[in-house]
Amino acid sequence: MDTTELESKVIAFIASKTENIDTATITTASKFEELGFDSLDTVQLLFDAEETFGVNFDGDEVKGLRSVGDIIDYMSKHPPQNLEK
Amino acid sequence: MYIVVTGMGIVAPIGTGIDQFWNAAVKGANGISPIQGFDPFGLHSRIAGQIAQFNSADFLTPKQIEQTDRFTQLAISAAQQALTDAGDLTGYAPRRLAVSLGSGMGGFGTFESSVARKFQNKSMPPFTVPRIMANSAAAWIATKFGWKGANLTCSTACSSAGNAIGMALDLLRTGKADAVIAGGAEACVLPLTMSAFEALHTLSTGFNDDPDHASRPFAKGRDGFVMGEGAGMLILEKEEEALRRGAKIYARLAGYGCACDATHLVAPDVDGQAAAMQAALQDAGIAPERVDYINAHATSTPLGDVVETKAIKQVFGERAYEIAISATKSMVGHSIGASAAIGSIATVMTLYTGMIHPTINLAEADPECDLDYTPNQAIQKNAQVAISNAFAFGGNNTTLVYTTHST
Repeated sequence: MDTTELESKVIAFIASKTENIDTATITTASKFEELGFDSLDTVQLLFDAEETFGVNFDGDEVKGLRSVGDIIDYMSKHPPQNLEK
Repeated sequence: MYIVVTGMGIVAPIGTGIDQFWNAAVKGANGISPIQGFDPFGLHSRIAGQIAQFNSADFLTPKQIEQTDRFTQLAISAAQQALTDAGDLTGYAPRRLAVSLGSGMGGFGTFESSVARKFQNKSMPPFTVPRIMANSAAAWIATKFGWKGANLTCSTACSSAGNAIGMALDLLRTGKADAVIAGGAEACVLPLTMSAFEALHTLSTGFNDDPDHASRPFAKGRDGFVMGEGAGMLILEKEEEALRRGAKIYARLAGYGCACDATHLVAPDVDGQAAAMQAALQDAGIAPERVDYINAHATSTPLGDVVETKAIKQVFGERAYEIAISATKSMVGHSIGASAAIGSIATVMTLYTGMIHPTINLAEADPECDLDYTPNQAIQKNAQVAISNAFAFGGNNTTLVYTTHST
């Protein structure tokens, strides 16, 4: 899977989890807090991403994830098991 | 000072909303059916009182649904109805608005699924604890509706909502709140709870192919309770304030009594049950001679219904035979921590409408259960004073006294 495809899948996934946000405005630069996710919501978002993509968000690296792009970078480095979803 | 009921909401197997519930109750509807939520293969009791048409997306966002257990969702639905029914409460300061709920098991569905995940080495959803905790429903109601006063949750098994409504009465009488949302919620039609109650031999197992006749309090051939789920909420406030704001008044909540058997964790006790009824009447300042309706705890267990019958006789003597009694659980099953709220709503509607709902499936009574249980057909009777019983594991017994507004 190329980066563009991964980006579009992750953005579509995050868009499905937002409320009261114009999903067309979501980019790799969007920070979680700008999308209405507080810290606990972000933990929930990563949990849901694990369930959806089969990726495992683990270790200290996860604490630094702040934006859509950060998730995509993490998933590029730790290839998920079921990206076809 | 009188405390009155000015709003109610309910989610029950025979109906959601007071009108639908009460119309079904007076008709003697059956709310018991084969278990739908999971495959009950291997269980001996494969029927339950379930909420078939419940759709949490009607009133919660996807994010809120993700963060709440089913018992909380049922509670929010009932609370929302009760608040709509009660009308304008904006005259009260938010810090004077309290929530007092009961739940026996809390977010047990979340507990079950989380345990399964843990043993499969899967990661834990971050809202696991806030979904499971017993005070989750009360906290969500406070948050969603801005009720910023006392926020209490009572977990006394099958009497949870009875204690919760009693605690609400105390909050109002002692001036700690101006209005209270009081009630209970439960959602434990689940593999683990069913298996665990089965292990105690408390569930009906002989009516899996005939669910319509499974919940049969006081009847011959009853063989245990049928698990149920649901929620019931009442808005309580001081009568003078309710009159001042022009609220509809359903009934007065006149008294609350509780007593512990302190004999056995799960076996019922005549003296403990009688003591709760007597304490409640004393609290209300009402003589036993004035009671003309009893909403019985009556779960349809072989022992429990006999013990309650004896306790009623102990309190009311020969007059016990003249009092109309009915068992709401004959129609909805036993919703554990919500059951006393559902029983309370049935009691309030009895006083408000002058109709006593029947105990269904009572073709032939157990010879040891020889009182007037309003078998199979509703009757018209302008009851003025009613009590609602809830007895629980732990030896906990509660009775609430309701009267008509004009009594």
